[in-house]
Amino acid sequence: MKKTMKTNRRLFGLVIAGCVMSAAFPTHVAATVSDADFNALKEMVQQMNGKLQSLEQTNQVYQQTIQQLQQQLSETQQIATNAEQKSIEAAQAQPQSRAPIDEATVNHNFQILGDAEFQYVKAAGQHGAFTLADFAPIFLYRSGDNILFEAGFDTTLQNNGGALNGNNNSGYTTTFNLSFAQMDYVMNDYMTLCAGELLIPLGTYTERGAGWLNKIPDDPLAVDALLPSSGVGAELRGGIPVGNIGKFVNYSVYLANGPSSVDGTGTSGIGNMTPNLDLGGNVGVRSDTVVANLHGNPSGGGRLGVFMPFKPHYDLELGISGQSGEWDNAGNHLWTAGVFDAALHLGPSFEARGEYILTRYGTDDIGVGVIHQQGWFTQVSYKLAGLNLELPVINNLELVGRYDSLHGAYNSTDNAFDSKTQRYTAGFVYYITNTLLFEGDYEFLHSNDPSQVGQLILQLSLGF
Amino acid sequence: MKRKKLILWGAAALVVVCLSGPGLTPAQAQPVSGADSASSPTNSAALNAQAPDAKPAPVKIQLTGAELYSMHCNRCHPERYPTERTAAQWKTIMLHMQVRANIPGGQAKLILKYLQDNSGR
Repeated sequence: MKKTMKTNRRLFGLVIAGCVMSAAFPTHVAATVSDADFNALKEMVQQMNGKLQSLEQTNQVYQQTIQQLQQQLSETQQIATNAEQKSIEAAQAQPQSRAPIDEATVNHNFQILGDAEFQYVKAAGQHGAFTLADFAPIFLYRSGDNILFEAGFDTTLQNNGGALNGNNNSGYTTTFNLSFAQMDYVMNDYMTLCAGELLIPLGTYTERGAGWLNKIPDDPLAVDALLPSSGVGAELRGGIPVGNIGKFVNYSVYLANGPSSVDGTGTSGIGNMTPNLDLGGNVGVRSDTVVANLHGNPSGGGRLGVFMPFKPHYDLELGISGQSGEWDNAGNHLWTAGVFDAALHLGPSFEARGEYILTRYGTDDIGVGVIHQQGWFTQVSYKLAGLNLELPVINNLELVGRYDSLHGAYNSTDNAFDSKTQRYTAGFVYYITNTLLFEGDYEFLHSNDPSQVGQLILQLSLGF
Repeated sequence: MKRKKLILWGAAALVVVCLSGPGLTPAQAQPVSGADSASSPTNSAALNAQAPDAKPAPVKIQLTGAELYSMHCNRCHPERYPTERTAAQWKTIMLHMQVRANIPGGQAKLILKYLQDNSGR
């Protein structure tokens, strides 16, 4: 641009100089200039004039170009400013990003699960009473990805049987029991090592059906009377998938101290009002504080099950389990149990499950010998939501029925192991929410033991 | 004694039959993702259309975490909503449930992923 300006100035100067010269020289001088020279000079001036005009036009074009460029630069700067402003506004308008998981909770986590129940019982021929308030928390502590400690407690406030035996002064008791306390080490996808106070996997009811999980407030007769719920020991367990469509085999193998004798002897307990066999009493510490098994050897047991889904919510699980071990201090007699369990789901509304339990144990009693006991239960439930009636109350109801029997348990009336009890239970579960349940059942009993009577049970249950 | 033996043998036979049973059929299970949709030119239906005599190509199937969740959790208790717990809490609870219900680790991981993806926060 500067060069162009200089050129224009020079040309303009030449033109001016030419004019000055033509004016300054006298006519007589001009007269000395030939026509040819004059014409050449004239032609040169005309050419210079033409060039000057051309340069002026070029200059105008340049000026226009400069203005256009300046305008475009200004627009570009404005666009950039707007874009920056928009990006700032967009960043401010974005919602808060999802809070990252706390590192501490990734590596370990403490958690409380569990359930609570409140129960009213009206036994046949007795006054009704609020008989149970139960708080059963489960504490979970996870350390890393594959170590878990879990402990379950059962805190129960319960009448001392006032509703059952008519004793108005029995008061109440508060019990605090350790249901289980075990450390789990998940070794791989198929095997977990557990150690501690274990829930014994004889059948599935003890592990997966007790408390809030069951749809009837009380346990099946045979489960309560014939099987230990827990034992101190070590266990290997896990599941092995068969194919990739949900079917799997599951197993448990364990060693536990096993049942023991109340008084250390191998007698049956007839005449003592209670049987001598203590299914859950052997914890490895004797009453004289010596750390030792009450009998010589631990019990061994296991369960093998197979879970077969046919389609989502349609599945069948079958299992067989058993345990055997010494129960008296001298180690002269074995206690042995075998359980067959089954659970069937036909859609999200229908469930049927049951267990068949056989036990036997030897005694020192001549004439009693080996005591054989057996019992079984089957439980069927149906959620009325499956009828698709679209009624709010009906949709939250589940009807439940159970039949259970117990043969060979101790009969305090006869002072013998000859009880024969059959129980029919009909009831319902009303789901106030998915965790708050109201359950109501009536149990019809047929037994040769007159202490066993039918009863109405109402229970409010909360799972958390 | 005969009755006990009969029961034991019957139970053993039932277990064997169950182990060799078909379980879910491919038609009942869901494909892994939309990649196996019918519009794919490589699916078995398209192959059958081109070559009726050829055996149908095996369809790779695997249950999703959501399906395994509805299959396993509802067996013992009412379903708990994924939003009821945080991702870290679900990790602890699933470890507990994997042990308690003997769920294979691979299936437990799929269920955990489903629960964490839909967790409360």
